[in-house]
Amino acid sequence: MTSKKQLLFAYGLAIHLLLVAIICYAAFPVTAPAEPVRIMYQTTAGKVLFDHATHAGATGYSLSCFDCHHHPMGDQNAMTSCSECHPAAVEEGEQPLTCLNCHNGKDIRDTPILSRTDALHKGCTDCHAEFEKGPVMDANSCSRCHVI
Amino acid sequence: MNPKKTLLVSHAPFWHDGGGIPERSYHTLLAALPAACAGIAFYGAPALGVICLSISTAILWELLMNRIMRRPITVGDGNAALVGLLLAMLLPASAPWWVVVLGTFLAIVIGMQIFGGIGGNPFNPVVLGTAILSVAYGRHLDFDAGLVNFTFTAFASSTDPISALKAFGPEAVSHLRYLDLFLGKQVGGIGSTCGAAIVLGGIYLIFRGFIRWEISIAFLASVYLSAALFNMADPTRFAPPLFHLVTGYTLIGAFFLATENSSSPVNLFPMLIYGALGGVLTVLIRNIGAYTDGVLFAILVINLTNPLVDKIRPRAIGKAA
Repeated sequence: MTSKKQLLFAYGLAIHLLLVAIICYAAFPVTAPAEPVRIMYQTTAGKVLFDHATHAGATGYSLSCFDCHHHPMGDQNAMTSCSECHPAAVEEGEQPLTCLNCHNGKDIRDTPILSRTDALHKGCTDCHAEFEKGPVMDANSCSRCHVI
Repeated sequence: MNPKKTLLVSHAPFWHDGGGIPERSYHTLLAALPAACAGIAFYGAPALGVICLSISTAILWELLMNRIMRRPITVGDGNAALVGLLLAMLLPASAPWWVVVLGTFLAIVIGMQIFGGIGGNPFNPVVLGTAILSVAYGRHLDFDAGLVNFTFTAFASSTDPISALKAFGPEAVSHLRYLDLFLGKQVGGIGSTCGAAIVLGGIYLIFRGFIRWEISIAFLASVYLSAALFNMADPTRFAPPLFHLVTGYTLIGAFFLATENSSSPVNLFPMLIYGALGGVLTVLIRNIGAYTDGVLFAILVINLTNPLVDKIRPRAIGKAA
């Protein structure tokens, strides 16, 4: 058995810490910043962690934003998530809604849009192959990026 | 094992030395605080939120269960608060509130109260709660996925070293310095990364007699030796033993989880066997098993062996194994 003093201490601890927790969760939620730090892609072939800050940051590889966010080139409107323009699955002849915000559907009917998987694979592997750094794609290299 | 002279009983009157469960709980809580504070320093207010919510809800779950089961109120003994703190220390700072509340429910209610409360639990409630969470809600306990929005400028790597080892092999973590890892400069649980603080807390508990050094040392020595054997067999596939000691849940497991009173043995050889088995299983799961960190499942398995190793003669006094 515990004393009344110990019981009151436990009640006090529970109430005060609950208040602190509510304040912390409400006032300091873990939200994604405007420019991502890291992005975790949950794919059917395991997760892939992309370190956005290291690729884009001055202390990292100092890539230009438009090296990856390539369309429209030089326009801040290009600073969106890859999947905004490259959907998970692309039906033939279908254009993502994002394209139709600026383009007439008929004008871009014959413009091929890569699916997100193809776009990311191409974007990552082309760049790594060009600079000969980091994981390079070949027949047995899935597990160099994918945590399978 | 107690020295024989402490078992000699003289005639009454007796004098209680003032020790008890609240003393044990609050001293253990105090010993764990430096590591938890290191986590708050690394991850900020979100980590504080997880720790406070975990301690608070653990106390409230125990209080609720005491009321429902019409048993004496036991929250005053501090054990629920300790369970809450240790559970929070294993979680990432990004853990949503409902994961924390569910985790304390699993630890307090499923892990302890349904077995009759403190002393009756066959498994360490903290480990049981976290293991269920990691199986059921793996993404929320995945440090790499959960902590994507945190910046770790002071760390040599912004990925969980034990996950990187599992996925990409020892070469991916070869640039990490063991001292940095030991000082907590690694991605991981709120209170499980700062090895220096955990060891300090563990040594304090050992010297005060709240935990037994035999379990901790056997666990750590066993992790070191089995990891060294793997490393000697194939250094390209298996990391050096020191890496296993300073990453994942190894240190918090050795000092704060495997040593839990109810689920660990009491005599010398059983404690050594129990700890050594835990270390071997940890390395086996990490090196050739499916899970990233083997500590949780290794401790659950050695908890299962506890009644068995307690039967080794001389049998543990007062344990109904």
